[in-house]
Order: sequence, then structure tokens, then C-alpha cells
Amino acid sequence: MTSVPNQEIKRGDTVLEARGITKRFPGVVANDGVNFDIKAGEIHAILGENGAGKTTLMKILFGEYLPDEGEIFITGQPVNFRSCLDAIDMGIGMVHQHRKLIPAHSVIENILLGHPRAGGILNLKRAETEILEICDKYGFSIDLNTKVWQLSEGEKQVVEILKALYRGAEILIMDEPTSALAPTETEKLLESIKAMSRDDLAIVPFITHKLPIVLAISDRVTVLRRGKVVASMDTDQATETSLAIEMVGREVIFRIEKTAVDVGETILQVDNLSALSDKGLKALDEVSFTIKEGEIFGVAGIAGNGQQELVEVLAGLRNSAGGKVVLDGKDITHANSLERWELGIGYIPADRINVGSIADFSLVENTAMNYFFDPRYLQRGTLNYSKLRDLTTEMIAQYNVATPGPDTTAKSLSGGNLQKVILARVLSRKPRLVIAHLPTQGLDVGATEFVRNQLIEAQKEKAGVLLISEDLDEVLSLSDRVAPIYEGRFMDIIPGNQAKRENVGAMCAGIELEADV
Amino acid sequence: MRIGSHEIKLERRESLRGWQAASISILAIIVALILFSLIFIFAGKNPFTAYREIFSYSFVNPFGLPLTINRFIFLLLCTCAFIVPYRAGLWNIGMTGQLYAGSLAAYAVLYALGIGESTVTHLTPWVIIPLMLLGAAVAGGFIGSIAGYFKGRFNVNEIVVTMMLNFITFWLVSFMIKEGGPFMNPGGRGESFELPPTLHAPLLWDVPFTLIIALGAAILLYYMFARTKLGYQIRAYGKNPAAASYAGISKLRIPVEVFVMGGALAGLAGYHYFAAVPGVYKIARNYGYFGDLAFYGIICGLISQGNPIAAIPVAFLFGGLSIGGRFVQGKLGMSFGIDYALLGVLMITLVAFQFFYRYKVVWVRVQEEKLDVGIPH
Repeated sequence: MTSVPNQEIKRGDTVLEARGITKRFPGVVANDGVNFDIKAGEIHAILGENGAGKTTLMKILFGEYLPDEGEIFITGQPVNFRSCLDAIDMGIGMVHQHRKLIPAHSVIENILLGHPRAGGILNLKRAETEILEICDKYGFSIDLNTKVWQLSEGEKQVVEILKALYRGAEILIMDEPTSALAPTETEKLLESIKAMSRDDLAIVPFITHKLPIVLAISDRVTVLRRGKVVASMDTDQATETSLAIEMVGREVIFRIEKTAVDVGETILQVDNLSALSDKGLKALDEVSFTIKEGEIFGVAGIAGNGQQELVEVLAGLRNSAGGKVVLDGKDITHANSLERWELGIGYIPADRINVGSIADFSLVENTAMNYFFDPRYLQRGTLNYSKLRDLTTEMIAQYNVATPGPDTTAKSLSGGNLQKVILARVLSRKPRLVIAHLPTQGLDVGATEFVRNQLIEAQKEKAGVLLISEDLDEVLSLSDRVAPIYEGRFMDIIPGNQAKRENVGAMCAGIELEADV
Repeated sequence: MRIGSHEIKLERRESLRGWQAASISILAIIVALILFSLIFIFAGKNPFTAYREIFSYSFVNPFGLPLTINRFIFLLLCTCAFIVPYRAGLWNIGMTGQLYAGSLAAYAVLYALGIGESTVTHLTPWVIIPLMLLGAAVAGGFIGSIAGYFKGRFNVNEIVVTMMLNFITFWLVSFMIKEGGPFMNPGGRGESFELPPTLHAPLLWDVPFTLIIALGAAILLYYMFARTKLGYQIRAYGKNPAAASYAGISKLRIPVEVFVMGGALAGLAGYHYFAAVPGVYKIARNYGYFGDLAFYGIICGLISQGNPIAAIPVAFLFGGLSIGGRFVQGKLGMSFGIDYALLGVLMITLVAFQFFYRYKVVWVRVQEEKLDVGIPH
């Protein structure tokens, strides 16, 4: 651990302090007088919704942005970062949410990339022993010679942590450390984080909405809202509810009120459906299930186990490789996606920005994505834009979308508002079957609650809902039946009242369980 | 940059209004003309005289103006042929080939009916001319559809396909009209047989009726993109193909449709130049020159940002300057290539000025340094 100015850091010393950090962007104050400090051996979580100013603060601490006002001190000395390199030299390490690794290179090559000692001749042997030492110390197990593209998300994160530690980081900033991790991987990571903090590392995880994680690992927590610090406390004084209130500024009902809905006719019947991935491998392996009117069918699982393929085959965007799909008694296995929209499938895609909306289009034109074929909005090949505009205005009001009006472009909306627009557009068609793929991914607490309630509304109106999510709590709290998916297969289909974190989580990890729990 | 108590800053534009885009373009044209005047000055000519000659010949002179209008019709059709695929995010570099195919098809109609040079036909032009137009559009559309189909079905790059088809059709024209070819001129001049006078395209005030087709096409396209379902699907595909597929817009049909439309328009441009422009009425020996001119459709399309109405003045300007540049070259005894050099400078300046479509220059007063130290609010 090389270039930190003050070598003798004792446990409990303040290693990093930010005072009065203010950063303005045209039209917004992203950080407004933020004060923040962290001691050696401490885990200090920063919590805030999307747009609360977390990313800006993180970038300032890591030297990517210069603050307009305010100062940063490292071990009591003022510093002025002009780039990330300055921050790295001062012992700050960053673990990015969107990994900054080179997929075609091996783990050790990625760790050494940018290391000062790697400038000249590489002493791989020595580096390897040193890195393995770090691994041993904190309980990471990773093969240093594997190529990064072969790694899981959790392993990639380990590589990023090792890279920072090997570079001599004393302060580790982690952006959304547990998103994209499987439950078992999350547990391992949390243990490693604790081990690191025992070793006098200061750790700053930035977290959007996983409150249980915050409570489980952090010593202190600072809550940001609209660029300001609204609360900063020791974690043992905080509860999930109190943090949520601070974050959102009002009370959020976490328990979704699910009223019993009478299940009606079968809407969707899927028999032995298979599909290939883009690489031509079997991604979906003879899946069978049915969805009835007024039922939410949840598919739980870790990304990459065939969910994307399942959704695309059902939406008509991917050819099936065997099996049958029947909607309301009609075989739609070979129907194209437009026919499926017309038959009443409403698909909410996981990728809001690149698939679910058109960034340069106005909200009216985005609404037209699901209406351009609708005879009610079409006269002899001409779209009735004024009617579409009325519809969009109505949806904006009904869904409380924060936007200047229906003529603004989709790209000007925040993630939560964009999701509301997509949801409004799809659900306003009153689809028979709603396919919701990761509907709350990346949304803040308020928007998440809203989206979940809209799905329940759709259920009440007798739609069948197929919910595909990586968030176990979401699937468990919303679904009437739960199917854990693993390697393209449903491990089981469990009635909602029997589905628990334990059994569903285990099955998502590929562990076969006896049917009775 | 700071000057006195003021500062010049670049700011990103939130939106661009039509009149702003138009005034930026006009400014660009003025700047281009000022830049190009250096060429006249180095050649020892007075730029004011030169520009007066260019503009008066192109846009006023009774001999020059019809030439300008004919070029304008040709360029506008080529521009529209570029714009339709462009709005779907696809690049039509093949207007040249499509217009060759269109002109060959127009003459093929005559050939099939046994009409050659010096043949007196009894068939009414009211039937034959529409047939020629239809043939030109179908042939251009067919050549276009090849690129569209390969794009939609196999995701083959449309630029490569359209470009290659340019070469194929170029030599096909050569084969058809040169000595021994079925459309050869009996005089053996390396050009096609001439159109019988009865089949010359009707003129309205000395301007071929194709003017109406070109202007009509621009207006219809504008309407199509702004209002119709098809136009919406094309724009959606152009802005985000993945989102378009999600919405149920066929990623096979859209490329085929835009290239058929674009190709058909370019085919009509071929009909226009070789069967409707007074004094031509044959596939000329220098048909390659007009093939090259078709590339200005790309430039006009880009400058007008894919807006078919905005393409009208742009194509008119480029048509006029290509005529006026050639004229002034002869008139002032300047070296060869003034016309293309002028178009080139104009093009570069217009493209460079598109920077101001996205950014604006603002002139702000620098805030006085804060003086209220210590005074509580």
C-alpha cells in the first residue's frame, strides 16, 4: 500500500472527509453542500434514490468531476483531484457497477493494467503471489488466469476489488455492490467486505434501494435526497422504514396490498417451449406453464438463465426451437410480434432505453409505438396524432409522470418516469397478457412501489401477468405462483403461499429440493 | 472566451426551430461564397463580377434558368431517393444505379413497342409516356429492392450493395447503348436512339412536367413522414431498430419498402434527364456525368436533414450553381472544374455549419465578482 500520504493510519482515524461539496449542472444542483466523512475500518453506506446525487458525489470523490464548491481532505490534508489517477494515487479505489474490465484479457492482466509496476517488465510470478495473498486474506477465490469474459458478474466484481486493493487502495468506493449478484454471491461479498473493514480499510458502498443490505453491513449510513444530506446516523439506530422515509421524503408502504383475485379462464398455455440463445445454444429447455385470468405468474432467477429468451419467444421476437404457445385457445407459436400485440399481449421489456422507447421521439410518438396499428387511431393509413396526443396527456396525468408535456422527448425523462410512460402505454391497451420483464430494475423506491401496484391493478382487471424478475422479494410478494428458473428450466412451480426466500432462492441457484417445504 | 466584461460561450441547443435551421444554412451559404471568392481573386478575377455572372445566368437568364430548373428536378428526385432510406437510418448510395436502371427501362418500353429512331408511331403518347414513367419507377425500385432485401433478410450493409449496383448498371447502360447494343443509335455515336418527337415529355412553360412529379414527391414524402402509419414505422425503425421490432414493425419490410420507394424516385430522375429534358431525349454518351451528379442528392439530403420540403431550396441552389459555375468557367476563361469546386466548398461549409444546429453561441455578461462579503442576508 504505497502512496497514501500518512502511513500510520489507526483504526478510527478519519481517512476521508468531504466538506460542503456543491456541484451544479445546467438546471440542477446535483450536490448541495454535502458533508461526508469516513474512518478507517468503517463501512459507511450512502443511500439515495436515482437522481439524489449519489453518482455525482461518487465521481467527485473519485476525481472524475471537480466540485464547484467544497473541499476534500485525505487524512486531514486538503487534496485537489484533477483526474481519477490523482484519486487512485491517494489510495482511493473504485468498484464500478458497470465493470471496467477488458473481457478478452485474463484476470491477472486486468488487475495489473494501469498498475505503476506494470509499466516496464512484468513480474507475473511476484504479482500472482501478492494477489493470491490478498485473496486469502479476504476470502476471495478466483483463478487468475481465466479470461474475464468467462466470469460471472460476482467474479468480475471480485476482479475490480482486487484491482483496487492491489493498487494500494485504503478507501474503497463501491457502486451498487450487490446489484447483479446472485444471492449466494451477495453473501460471500458481504463477508469479504466485513473482512476488509476489519483490516482497517474504509469502505463506502453507494446503494439505491437495497435497504436490508445497508442494515446488514454498514456501520454508518448517510441518506441523500435531491443533492442534500438529509440524514446521517449510526446504522444500529436506523430501521428499514426510517431509512425509506428519509430517502423518499414520505412513508412508503413496503407491503404490497394484494387482494385475492378470482382466477378465471386460462389465457396463456405454454407447452414444452424451447429456444436458442444468440450464440445458438439451448437457452430455454422445454418449459411448460399456464397463466389464468387474474393471476400473476412470477419467474424468479438470476439473469442469463433463459429469461430473456422466454420473454422474446412469447413476444414474437425470437423463433422458438420447439414447443407450442397458445393464447386464448389460439395457437400463436408462429405469430409475429405485431399479431401478438393485436391479440392482446402487452410486453414491458427489461431494457427501457434501447428497446422499450425511442429516445429521440416525443412522448406522443412513443405512445404510438403501441397504437400505430390500432384502427381507433388510424384513418386510411394516416395516424391521428391529435388523438394520440390526448391519450398521452391523459396517461401523463394518470401516472403522474414528471415531464413538461407530451411533446418532450423520451430521452429527457428519468428512468422511473420513462418506465411509467412505457407501463401506461402498454397497460392502456388493456392487454389480456402482460409480460413484465425486470419492471422495477434500477428504479427508486417510489417508482418501484408505483410499478408494482400497477401490475396488481392489471391483475384485478382480469389480465394474466407474467412477471420475470431477479428481485426475489418482488417475485415473492407479487406472485400467485412462482417458478424458479435455472439454466433454461423451471425447477418447480410453487404456489405463492408456499414460496419462501429459502426454497425459491435455493432453486434459483440450481439446487433441487423436495416438493414439500 | 472573454472579451471585456462579456464572455462568448457555446451552449447546447435544447431544440432547433425551422427558421433557425434555415438562417444557419443561409449564413453558411454566404460564408461559402466569401471563401470561394478567394479562388476568383487568386485567378485574377473580380469575385463580384463572377458571382453576378453565376447568379444571373443560373437564376435569371432565359437560357440559364431552364437549365437550372432541369438540374433542380433531377437533383430533387435524387435527394428524395436518398431521404426515404435515410429516414429509416439506411444509406442509399445507389441513386446512380437506380437512375440508370430507370432510364434503361423507359427506353425498353419503346424498344418493346418497336419504336426506334425515325419510327413514326401511331400509339398515343398518353399511353406510352405513363408506361415509360412506370417502367422507370419499377426498374429503379427493383434495383433498390435488392439492397433493401439483403439488408432486411441478412443484414448486409446497404452502402456496399447499392454502390456495387452502381457499377453493374453503369456497364449495363454502356452495353445497351454502345455500338451493337439493342438501344444503340443508328448513327453509332455511343448513345441511345432518340425519342421520337411525339413522345417528348410535355412542357409547361418550357419546363418538363416532371417538375410536378418532383415537387409532388417532396410534398407527399413530407406528409408521409409527418402523418402516416408507414412514415411513422420508417422513422421508428430509423431511430431505434430494436424498439421498432419490439413494437411489431417488421425489420424485413421496412428496408425493402424504403429502398423500393427511393429507387423508384431515382428511376424517375433517370426518366427525367434522358427522356424529358429538352435537347437531350436520349441516353447521352456522357450519362456517367449525370450519374455523378446524382451523388449531390446525398449532400442535399444531409443538408436538409432528411426533410423533403427543406430539400427543395437546397436542390434548387445546387442545381443552379452547377449550371452557373460551368458557365462562368467558360465566360471568364477560367480553368476546368470551377463548378465542382464551388459545389464542394458550399457542401463542406454547409456540413460544417451543422455544428450550429446542435450548439449556439451566446454572448453573456460576466457576473460581477461577489462583493457582498460579510453582509448578512
